[in-house]
Amino acid sequence: MSGAASMTGAARSGRGWRARPGLMVAGALVFCALVYLWPMLTLAGWAFHGDKAGWSFAELLRVAGDEDYHIAFATTFRIAVTTTLVSAFLGYPYAYLMATSSSRLAMLLAAAVMIPFWTSILARSLAWMILLGRKGIINEWLLGLGLIERPLPMLFNSLGVQIGMVHVLLPFMVLPIWAILVRVDQSLPRAARSLGASPARAFWHVTFPLSFPGLAAGCALVFMYAIGFYITPALLGGPSDLTVATLIEMVVRDLLDWPFGAMLSLLLLASVACVFAVGAVVAGAGRLTGAEHA
Amino acid sequence: MTDAFRPGRRSLLATGATLALARPALHIRPARADKGEIVVSSWGGSRTKAMREVMWTPFEKATGIRVREDGPPEAARVKAMVDSGNVTWDVLDTDIPAILTMANNKLLEPIDYARIDKGKLGKIPEVLRQPYALGHLIYSFNIVYNTKSFPEGAQPRTWADVWDGAKFKGARSFPFRGGLSPQLEFALIADGVPVDKVYPLDIERAWKAMDRLRPLVTKWYANHAEAIQLLATGEVDICCTIGPRALVAKGEGAPVDVEFAGGKLAPDNWAIVKGTRNPDAVYEYLNFVIDGKVQAELAKRIPYGPSSQAAFEHLDAAAARQLNTSPENLAKQFWVDTAWWGAVAENGKTNNENQTERYARWMIRRG
Repeated sequence: MSGAASMTGAARSGRGWRARPGLMVAGALVFCALVYLWPMLTLAGWAFHGDKAGWSFAELLRVAGDEDYHIAFATTFRIAVTTTLVSAFLGYPYAYLMATSSSRLAMLLAAAVMIPFWTSILARSLAWMILLGRKGIINEWLLGLGLIERPLPMLFNSLGVQIGMVHVLLPFMVLPIWAILVRVDQSLPRAARSLGASPARAFWHVTFPLSFPGLAAGCALVFMYAIGFYITPALLGGPSDLTVATLIEMVVRDLLDWPFGAMLSLLLLASVACVFAVGAVVAGAGRLTGAEHA
Repeated sequence: MTDAFRPGRRSLLATGATLALARPALHIRPARADKGEIVVSSWGGSRTKAMREVMWTPFEKATGIRVREDGPPEAARVKAMVDSGNVTWDVLDTDIPAILTMANNKLLEPIDYARIDKGKLGKIPEVLRQPYALGHLIYSFNIVYNTKSFPEGAQPRTWADVWDGAKFKGARSFPFRGGLSPQLEFALIADGVPVDKVYPLDIERAWKAMDRLRPLVTKWYANHAEAIQLLATGEVDICCTIGPRALVAKGEGAPVDVEFAGGKLAPDNWAIVKGTRNPDAVYEYLNFVIDGKVQAELAKRIPYGPSSQAAFEHLDAAAARQLNTSPENLAKQFWVDTAWWGAVAENGKTNNENQTERYARWMIRRG
């Protein structure tokens, strides 16, 4: 998305600032150090230091030896990965439609994806209950048509969580893909067509590779948000959808065991970092960060 | 176990728990407790609004001591304040599990009962006068059911009924959120333990009974507003939730009703933060707000029982029936045993902390 900003942002004004990039970078660095690095170091201090004197791996060993927490980590990853994949499959065609339709329709499509984004999470979850519940609209309708004999369980299980989370996170997938797709030079797929490629072939060999950075950025954003989610799983999920974020809340807020909570947070962060490291190796570092736009 | 839904904190945590951990470090403009002012930390919303109206403004007028409100009164924030030596709250309005954890972490001042008005204190049940907590607003976990699912005469009356999925068909909902202690008392009562023999809890027996409840529960709800919603829309048929809240919903036309018998009474309390800068004002405040007339005014605005029996002298019979601490309803229910939940086990944690963590493990294991 940084690319998109530099494109539009090259607006002819403000050149004074742009001439001294060092100053801007320094400001950003100080800001990051203050609001990000320092708290992170504090967190690491708690995790490896605790209330006791001296450094220790006690908290790490606690997590390592605790199968319940392993299950929670696995659940969290399962939910995050599924959410990312489903969002990508729904979000890409949607973004493609947005990028290729008239500006009025594109605006309508954008509004459709953004309005839920601005709605309170509780209201959204409630809406899903009205739609998906045992006595919800969909079940009543299916029962009325005689298609099912008893209500389908669509809520308070993993399905409910996935539906709710994809709904919440879809904008984070659609917008980066759209931002890249609108910038793809349409003469390139046209050129492919003129050389005899079918529309599908032109898409897969020209448009899709060009839009890949947007897809990668979308996946990265959705995955990162999904891994820390907890309100939607709590409202729409069942007991098997207990995420690490929920446990961190319990440990930090109610058990006041901050060293352990800090360790859980760090591990969650580290596992996300691992996923991105692997992704970077597989996909090429530049593409994943979105810095190297085709 | 305070029922206030806390959207601010939740959305904050949704963006990552690291932010919440970092918050003390970023505390830029603290609420200050200077001389002539106390800071009361409560839950916000209609509760705080009602307290402002019937407690804080009249108290300011009567004493000249200003009351500033802040919140929510989370144990984690109190810990951050006490640890950093920057205590900006004086009085907390919170529940027993939080108080037990805070007391065990040495974050609270013991209440000096010699400084509390004997007459007013005498009207408050002894069980609510704890070393670190003075009960003032009573919530209760009760059997709440949908009246369409269970018509008159076929309604669940006991916890054994709630546990009996064959006789009382329908979906159950029980509270679970990280940090909410499990309803082990009801599990034991359903299993046949007489109410007066519930404490000390037979933990293993209680969890076995919880195992039997588990398949009947379709939703482990995360906040009490959600519970009433689930019941009213027919998503679940029986719920273990705050009875007085359900009565408010009933008054608004929801098809729900409450069985007070067998309910567990638990207090929200006044507690004093360790290192308060203005203890004199704090005791003046406590003496003002535990007054029966003040509590009665609060009970007219929010659906929780007043702790002072003197409050019922200022409430009519219809209002009293709705409240879980009216003499009639009080007799049907039992008090949560704060001493048992607060007892420190071999691992240095309270029973409450240990069972809360076990609750989460129980969810994960059998999910």
